[in-house]
Amino acid sequence: MTENVRPTMEVTVLAVVEKLTFMFGEHVVADEITVNAEPWVSARMEFSGDVHGSLEVAVPQSLQPEIAANILGLETDGEPSPEVLDDALRELLNVVCGHVIVALAGNRTDFDLTPPRNAALALDQVTQMLGDPDTTCYLMDDEPLLLNLKFAQRWP
Amino acid sequence: MAFNILLVDDSQTVRAVITKALKLAGVEIGQLYEASNGVEALQVLDKEWIDLMFADISMPVMDGEQLVAQLAASGAIKSLPVVIVSSAGGEPRIRRLKELGVRDYILKPFVPEQIRKVVENVMGVPSHD
Repeated sequence: MTENVRPTMEVTVLAVVEKLTFMFGEHVVADEITVNAEPWVSARMEFSGDVHGSLEVAVPQSLQPEIAANILGLETDGEPSPEVLDDALRELLNVVCGHVIVALAGNRTDFDLTPPRNAALALDQVTQMLGDPDTTCYLMDDEPLLLNLKFAQRWP
Repeated sequence: MAFNILLVDDSQTVRAVITKALKLAGVEIGQLYEASNGVEALQVLDKEWIDLMFADISMPVMDGEQLVAQLAASGAIKSLPVVIVSSAGGEPRIRRLKELGVRDYILKPFVPEQIRKVVENVMGVPSHD
């Protein structure tokens, strides 16, 4: 990820996630992310058209209920089902992806998004993602959120 | 006036959020139908009278653009107001969809007020607060 892409991506991601989930965050460097033994989950999707690539989000599983509850506007008591938790993470990624592409490539970009899919992440995969230069890191309500953007060509 | 509404999105989260937004916006709902892709939406449209349809673009099996193209080809889109709710908001796609007959386009994430305004504009009646 080039250094002129990163700031645009960070600003866009924070704005979209805050508007969608009402969770306030900040972008941080990878060193500020603590990976402990708790399970992590991810969602991943591809985009194609004028621009090609993929976007993946990873969060600790413990952050999923807050994301889902905030998107759905649910009360805090009673946790959503695992299906809803995964669906909410996919939707978060889907919305972020559309905005990131337009922010980076412009409003006149024609692109398709594939439906996102979930995956469990092993801790070494999280560590690998953290060390990837295509990853940007965020703390949302003090919980880590990672986004890995890969594109098949330079941005226009 | 109550409307029969069809929500087409592969995400149950999005369908729930739109339903909530419709209620918060004071839109009177008669029957609410849900479909998770374009094929399921066409099956609902075959059987039920729908006053207003909200549809996503990115869906498996049959996406929103294919669904709109089918409705345009059959002429059904002339009497069925379709509103796209999507995060894929590039201008070329929005222009293509509007040329096919889509009445409005809501970019996610949205607030209930946007839903209320779109329903008022598309259906030509005020909603109730």
